[in-house]
Amino acid sequence: MSSKEQFNQISPSEFFYSNRDLAGFSNPTRSLYTAVREFVENALDACDQKGILPDVHLIIKAVDPDKPDPKPYILTVKDNGPGVDTEHIPLAFGTVLYGSKFGLKQARGMFGLGATMAILYGQITTNKPVVVKSSTDGQTQDEFEILLDIQKNKPVILKHTKKETSKQGLSVSICLEGDYSKAGSKIRDYVYETSLITPYATITFDDPKGEKFHHARFVKDIPPPPTIIRPHPHGIDVERIRRMIVESQFEIPVIDDIMIEKVRKDLGLSKKNLSFAAIMDKAKKKWKNLSRQVRVVVALMSFLKMDFEKLSKIRIEDLDVSNKKLSYWDFGDSQSKVVDIDPESPYYKQLTNTVQGEPLTTFLTKRFQRIGPTTAVKFAEFAGFKPEKRMGTMSNQELVQLSDSLQKFEDFQAPDPTCLAPLGEEPLEKGIKKFFNPDFTAVVQRPASAYSGFPFIVEMGIAYGGDIKPGGPHVYRYANRIPLLYDEGSDVVLKVVNDTDWGRYKVKGEPPFIIISHICSTRIPYKTAGKENVADRPEIERELRLGLQFLSRKLAAYMSKKGQAEMAKKRANLYAKYIPLIAQFSTELAGQKKDPNYKKLLDEEAIIET
Amino acid sequence: MKPSEKAKGRKKKAEEKQQDILEILKTHGATIYQDLDNGRFPKLSIPSRSVSNIVYDKKLRQYILGNSAAVRSSRNSSQLRSFTQLMWLAFFANRLTKEKKSSTLRDVYYSSQAFAIEFEDQSESDNIIVDLEAVLSKPREDFHIFPEERSSIFGDLNIEYTIPGYEGKTMNLSNHPDGYSIGPSLTTAELLDTSAEIVIAIEKGGLFTRFVEEQVDKKFKSIIINTGGQAPRSTRTLLKRLHDEMGLPIIVLTDGDVYGEHIAMVIKSGSANAAHLRELTVPDAKWVGVWATDIEKFKLPTIPMTESDIKRCYDLQKDPRYQEGIWKKELDVFLRLKRKAELEAFSKYGLTNITDKYLPQKLELAKSL
Repeated sequence: MSSKEQFNQISPSEFFYSNRDLAGFSNPTRSLYTAVREFVENALDACDQKGILPDVHLIIKAVDPDKPDPKPYILTVKDNGPGVDTEHIPLAFGTVLYGSKFGLKQARGMFGLGATMAILYGQITTNKPVVVKSSTDGQTQDEFEILLDIQKNKPVILKHTKKETSKQGLSVSICLEGDYSKAGSKIRDYVYETSLITPYATITFDDPKGEKFHHARFVKDIPPPPTIIRPHPHGIDVERIRRMIVESQFEIPVIDDIMIEKVRKDLGLSKKNLSFAAIMDKAKKKWKNLSRQVRVVVALMSFLKMDFEKLSKIRIEDLDVSNKKLSYWDFGDSQSKVVDIDPESPYYKQLTNTVQGEPLTTFLTKRFQRIGPTTAVKFAEFAGFKPEKRMGTMSNQELVQLSDSLQKFEDFQAPDPTCLAPLGEEPLEKGIKKFFNPDFTAVVQRPASAYSGFPFIVEMGIAYGGDIKPGGPHVYRYANRIPLLYDEGSDVVLKVVNDTDWGRYKVKGEPPFIIISHICSTRIPYKTAGKENVADRPEIERELRLGLQFLSRKLAAYMSKKGQAEMAKKRANLYAKYIPLIAQFSTELAGQKKDPNYKKLLDEEAIIET
Repeated sequence: MKPSEKAKGRKKKAEEKQQDILEILKTHGATIYQDLDNGRFPKLSIPSRSVSNIVYDKKLRQYILGNSAAVRSSRNSSQLRSFTQLMWLAFFANRLTKEKKSSTLRDVYYSSQAFAIEFEDQSESDNIIVDLEAVLSKPREDFHIFPEERSSIFGDLNIEYTIPGYEGKTMNLSNHPDGYSIGPSLTTAELLDTSAEIVIAIEKGGLFTRFVEEQVDKKFKSIIINTGGQAPRSTRTLLKRLHDEMGLPIIVLTDGDVYGEHIAMVIKSGSANAAHLRELTVPDAKWVGVWATDIEKFKLPTIPMTESDIKRCYDLQKDPRYQEGIWKKELDVFLRLKRKAELEAFSKYGLTNITDKYLPQKLELAKSL
């Protein structure tokens, strides 16, 4: 920032401190619930990433049980995940916006931001540090006590000890102001519903009243982990492109003695002094194995026509690609000199790539999914750029134009769904059966689809009867394996369920009936930052509708079968009730003493019905 | 024949009637018993009472049921319930008849509950009663189920009760000026003798009382019957017996409107509702007034007909019984006048005008009808 005094940069910590209700920390009830969620989800994500069957233990304890709510609680979440390296712990738990989840794939949380928010909230309300215990090897354990310097967004380590342990994993403990009497039922629901959608995890919850809720895993296989993939062009914005260009661009390296030594070594010439031509020969042979930096130095040498001896006596001043000039300072002559660079030279491209970035087509094919060379050229034409346009030379305006065109171009293939990790039909069905013991279950996983460049998959389940309470449909909503418990009313799933005419599917009255929906995506279109309800994107709504229709038809088939069975039973009861009465009346009418033998009629009826 | 012998003969007839009913009930019961015992689902054939099966019989001069009948089977689960209800009613009617006890439509409805037979409401049980009438081709009075509503009778008529506890006891029906209510005991009583030469059925209780006060019974040698609007079936049975057994002509006096005309018609030729029964009509009964033409002739005060009155006129015009004679003529005049008069309209010319002036004229006229 050039204008110095008018603007004070605020740290991310400060920003979140003043906007904490955005992230779900608006009051003690909601904050306790959100903190639980963030830590549990981080633990599950960490295990998922390493393919570890999660064992998560959640403990909430009141600091002073006799005080009325809201009051300070100690919240601890332990897992058996990979743990965090010693050197990363202070940054990971003591700064905001430090995380490992920036890649594009499905995960419960995006950046691990929520957990730091919880830590921040705890610190604000109780002024107690976060206690982190971590072991990455199952032998030694780091224990940290960390406070967060909100202004500087920096960790303050109060204590750091190491000790022996027998368990790998992470334990995070914070002290925060909460209201368990109000948040308790939601937290218990959360744990319960999480264990349904995470059947391969064992989740234990010790609540402040001394109750233990234990949900053992009932699926032994962890679903295949999602792969990290490049972004889809439809899901991109200017800022993202800018960041990608920076990643793809390089400075001309400083050519000092250390660098020259490195180049000599990489070319296998540490001990040999070769002529310029011989060096070039050698470089050509070894080109494939050379690092980018070394290649740039060799390219420069090709234009300077210098050997290592001469090279050590100059300093590169400027590479003017447009005028094809290379200028340098010659220490020997103490003056600036200029050489032409020949665009026909094979080394020309190496240099221009370095300072001007890649050509547009290369940029597109290398850094996005679903773009091949043909599509890239077609797109360049569509967007009004030369295919060889260097990314480093894009003006702001051109970047906006590029970004807009990427959104609008319709010939890109649909996003790659391999970055998604749906639960799968089998574990979902198993979960439903275990949790509800229903009379009827059906599940479906819809094929992958996409909205705005983000792939998504909808999984749904439906169950009827058994232990399910009447008054349904009860809807259990999940997004990326997170149960969504708040703000049900405005959710797209609810909309789709409510639009359904259940009478058409033979579901009437107050049915004992549940619907589970699970939306997996690299980006769930939450309506708010609190991650509680999903916005109604038409593509998502369509998939939900199709999924629900499929399941409803199955339910209808079951219901009519059930209806027939009930009818048959009802009829059998009818005969059992009335035939004896008819017998009784006819006996008296006919002046008989003994009832007629009508038993075989009832038996016969049974045979007819079955 | 001496009166005592005559009475004896009648008594025998009453017993025969009872035996008749019991016999039919037993026959049906035995069939059903056999079906059950042989492992067959019992069924009953019930003459259809749907509109399409109700036809007018010109010879009998009444509506009768056609040939179509519905089978009610205990095999059919949707008919099982009503089949059982019908069986229960037969069983109940059997007991009533055997023990000479009386019941009413309402009483039947409530009695069902003691036998674990459910009726949704009284109209359902009423329907089953009509079903049984149709199966047996006998009016419910024959199996001792009587209407709730009571009409009354007054005049010199000796009767002898047949109901238990009163057997042989006689009564003269002119002993009590309020008249005698036509209930089960009177309906089943034997008709011994009378000095009357005619029966006057009158639509309204108020006029009935006036007629008693004015001694119409003595002045015109008549038996006066108050039908209380549309004559109940027991009253129609009694009218028929007075005509058939005592040889008395029946005349009917009603309000001067289309409903009054139809009250007379039902006494004469029955109703579509009772098309399954043949013992309720008095084909020789005569309607003597108040006619539509009387309204003009006697300059009676009138009120305009309502929409439904007029609609009723048009409905009756389609009825085969209204295609000739005074029935057609008066109906046409009602439609022309679009006005109606009550029996009480004669009060305009004095309270006794109706008995002093109108009635004698009409009785005279009746002879020529």
